[in-house]
Amino acid sequence: MEHFFRHFFTPHHTNNHRAKALHHDSLLFYLLILAVFNFGIRVAHRQFPAVLGYATDIRLEQLLQSTNKVRIGRGLSELQLNSILSEAAAKKAQDMFANGYWAHTSPTGKTPWEFITGSGYVYSIAGENLAKNFMTSQGVVDAWMASPTHKDNLVKPGYKDVGFAIVNGVLNGEETTLVVQMFGAPEGGIAMTPNSVKPVEVVTVNAEALNTNEKTGQTLSMNAFPQVISNMFSSVTEHPLMNIPTITRDIVFLFIGFLIAILIIDGVVVAKKRTVRVTGHTVAHVLFLLGMAIAILTIQRGVIV
Amino acid sequence: MKHKNSYFVGLLIILFFGVFAIIRGQNNPTLQLAAGGVTSVCYVLWGIIYHLFAKDIHFKVVVEYLLIGVLAFVFLATIVYV
Repeated sequence: MEHFFRHFFTPHHTNNHRAKALHHDSLLFYLLILAVFNFGIRVAHRQFPAVLGYATDIRLEQLLQSTNKVRIGRGLSELQLNSILSEAAAKKAQDMFANGYWAHTSPTGKTPWEFITGSGYVYSIAGENLAKNFMTSQGVVDAWMASPTHKDNLVKPGYKDVGFAIVNGVLNGEETTLVVQMFGAPEGGIAMTPNSVKPVEVVTVNAEALNTNEKTGQTLSMNAFPQVISNMFSSVTEHPLMNIPTITRDIVFLFIGFLIAILIIDGVVVAKKRTVRVTGHTVAHVLFLLGMAIAILTIQRGVIV
Repeated sequence: MKHKNSYFVGLLIILFFGVFAIIRGQNNPTLQLAAGGVTSVCYVLWGIIYHLFAKDIHFKVVVEYLLIGVLAFVFLATIVYV
């Protein structure tokens, strides 16, 4: 056992004065383990979503509260939750799942404004923010606030109403939690009913479209029960036994920590013994891995557009 | 020694801009992955240049830098696309 540890973790004549854990074949083996892990965790998630999944807690009331908190902090008026805008947001989310896209404009050219007017909200100005795969409501609003274009929507003084849809489904083969936020100010200060639809000129455009092309996902008929749409899509909460992002992060940092530890042991022993060998620069490897670890630490799950 | 230090200043600059770009690309996986990819490639090139000037370049050294660069990139991709 002692021989194994010395051979695997320290530079020795049995491993050509380089810890076996740092040999090329070992590094390749780590890549293979990571590939198997990435594949395995996805397969396990599909088979046992209640055990291995994505912890999510996004609620309409929290999104509304966070949005209004941001506005009040800037001396702006609170936005009123509008069921017609929520219905438009729900229709937009369903359209993204049904047609496999993640963008402000659909592949067929359908804009957010068509969903808004289609639901019966006649606006003087309108806007849309999108987010996917966030874990918390606050995370969604924080990400929007960090993006100038999304922030413009959140703190636009002209908006009076807001609607939300939070929908879970499969988008392009990936389990996805979509958040659609739609803003508006009614034309003439009066919000129209769903029966008095009238297309008007678009004043506010906030579109940085991403293109996707596969088609998967939910197929809920939006025309069947429009009156219950906003209730159906007001929250997504999932609490699996094991959270995939947490496990993945732990595994990655375990790997990085292991590599850095072996490199340091290897470097110290070689420096002490004054061994001359042909290898990469140990300090450089440690610095590089540390730099990447710092960068990875800052990465948060979730995408906005 | 002064010569060696200047190489490490170069490495620190590469890392600084790489980490900065990944942090700035928050909520944009494509940008984060691109930044990580460029940083890894720059690291491999840095290693090759360093050993070329140190006159101890060897094929297996290049492979080592490549493997470390790819590993770091896969670590990043694993987190970005989780």
